[in-house]
Amino acid sequence: MKRLGLARGLVAVATLAILAGACTGTASPGASGGGAKAYSIGFSNPGGVGNGWREAMLCSAKAEAVKTGEVTKVTIIHHDTDANGQLADIRSLIAQGVSAIIINPADPDALNPGIAEALAAKIPVVAVDASVTAPGAYNLSNDQVQYAYLGASWLFKALGGTGDVVYMRGIAGHPADTDRDTGFKKALSENPGIKVVKEVATKWDPATATTQINDILSSGLKFDGIWTSGVDSTIVDALKTAKHPFVPIVGADNAGFVNQLLNETGLKGAAVTNPPSVGGAGVKLATQILDGKPPSATTVHVTPELWDNTTDAGKASLKAAADPKINPLWPLGLTIKDWTDYSKDEVIACKGPGE
Amino acid sequence: MSAATEALGRRRVGVGEAVTSWIRRSPWIVALIGLLVVFFAITKMLVPNYGAPGVQALGISILPNALAAVAQAIVVISGGIDLSVGSMMALTSVVSAVLMKGQSDIFAVGVVLGTLALGVLLGAINGALIVATRVPDIVVTLAMSFVWAGVALLIIHTPGGGAAPWLMETIRGPLVSEWIPRGLVVLAVLVGAIWIPLRRSNLGLSLFAIGSNRLAAFRSGVPVDRMKIVSYALTGLFSSLAGLALTANTGNASPVPGPYTLESIAAIVLGGVSLAGGRGGVVGPILAVAVLYLIRIDLQFIGINPNFGTVVQGVILIGVVMLGSFLALRRVRP
Repeated sequence: MKRLGLARGLVAVATLAILAGACTGTASPGASGGGAKAYSIGFSNPGGVGNGWREAMLCSAKAEAVKTGEVTKVTIIHHDTDANGQLADIRSLIAQGVSAIIINPADPDALNPGIAEALAAKIPVVAVDASVTAPGAYNLSNDQVQYAYLGASWLFKALGGTGDVVYMRGIAGHPADTDRDTGFKKALSENPGIKVVKEVATKWDPATATTQINDILSSGLKFDGIWTSGVDSTIVDALKTAKHPFVPIVGADNAGFVNQLLNETGLKGAAVTNPPSVGGAGVKLATQILDGKPPSATTVHVTPELWDNTTDAGKASLKAAADPKINPLWPLGLTIKDWTDYSKDEVIACKGPGE
Repeated sequence: MSAATEALGRRRVGVGEAVTSWIRRSPWIVALIGLLVVFFAITKMLVPNYGAPGVQALGISILPNALAAVAQAIVVISGGIDLSVGSMMALTSVVSAVLMKGQSDIFAVGVVLGTLALGVLLGAINGALIVATRVPDIVVTLAMSFVWAGVALLIIHTPGGGAAPWLMETIRGPLVSEWIPRGLVVLAVLVGAIWIPLRRSNLGLSLFAIGSNRLAAFRSGVPVDRMKIVSYALTGLFSSLAGLALTANTGNASPVPGPYTLESIAAIVLGGVSLAGGRGGVVGPILAVAVLYLIRIDLQFIGINPNFGTVVQGVILIGVVMLGSFLALRRVRP
């Protein structure tokens, strides 16, 4: 009787095996292309599922991979996890034998063991959006210190150098958030009349940020300006819903926010550029390294710009950037000069090699 | 000489019989090993160059999850459930990383022992609260999961701290052969040194007894309340080992709990531990963690969205549990 149970168990396993085998038979990709160069790129993004910026970053990587003509496959691991989970992702990309790994790092130091293992296996690693401290890894990102400094300086100037500010950060511990904090604090030290009356971590999640601003509004806290780390249009929406008068606000170059800056009467604000196309630029950098033509420095910084709606030059930049085709939660900086080769339509289509 | 051959022959028969009888007693484990082999084969099919580095990645990646699954298995076998495993991991990881940062190797040994003691204490508090208040396990441990996670965030807001190099080296890389990851060796040593002697002792018997039938255990003279606290303390101990594995893996600690609680429950269910208590072991859950890991990376290799991957995992889990209860039903019938 017991033996019968065991036999059933084994039959069940065998059935599963056949089923699984059948599944993989249909799903296995035609990996190797005909050309001499057939790189496969692994991309690990450990957070921001549902965040337009992260989605755009991954689409940019796919579109650039197609344009290089040297990449046959992009394996994207995109889920909300911590540094420990991202380490597991990096290790599974190494086990898969990808040619290069691109990461949006969850932590500047914690991934170093996995990065070292990749480099030991001759797999170059490019960190985009934020930096890692591992020796030998390439860092390609927006200058996040400057990003925060530009926006905060504009805001403090718009307030005339005195006032109470709400400081809405990103993910606590994320290297980009830490760098932005450095830039924000630098601007703060230059404006002694400014006081931070509330500091929150939005996790770059629109839903979290909405709850936080509603809590602030209902607490009756008095504030004269808001600095956001990129979750911006939802804050403007919350102010409108609560019938709270607009205060000067700083955000990123997200389509919805730029639209509000151009069309909401009485809203004063500035958008600071933070191109998600670092994803595509990372792919280009990785293929350059694989081709044996690495850049001279291991750190590549993109310089951010500030577009405000209080000057004519700023308004012109906002108008030039606005594009109704783009999802309101997506950023507008979908290309970077010299670093991306695809068109705006191609990144919106979001198709990788072989898709 | 003939006597020696005879003895050898007899021993061989003895071993063979032991193996067959073990196989008959543990069809679930055999099925899981079969499943593991199947998924290794699938992985090899998907990625022809999957080999030693992949096995090493598996060894180190599953270590925290496997220890969390062992922690959960012990308390569920004893008739409870602990929803604070992930939070206890975060708290013990944070405490160990903060204390270890910039300290000597010797001091780090003290920190590791202290962290394990902290794990036992956290678990014992969980158990004592359940015994003292008579509030259901699931409610107490859910509430305590917020408490432990909150304490971790009070200690550090952002990932930080450090780890002693020897601790990081303990779980990283291979041992002797490139096919034997240190992470798996550490896991085997920990389970072998703590769980196996425990299971064979009266204490282990009592844990199974209170999980299987609390009243009968009480009537047989088992100190039911004390055993409940002991079972939670053991879960705390393994949770702190899992927390140390997190610290050792990344070299620092995050105060935000990872997805370990629910994954530990998934692993014990797939690993053949009865949620009603009294039945199961820790080998099944460890194998289940490895199977779930392989399923996840296979889905990555195929290129399925990892968020859809969790859906697939859930479906597989329900399927396995249904299959298990179906087989159990068939076995009960004459």
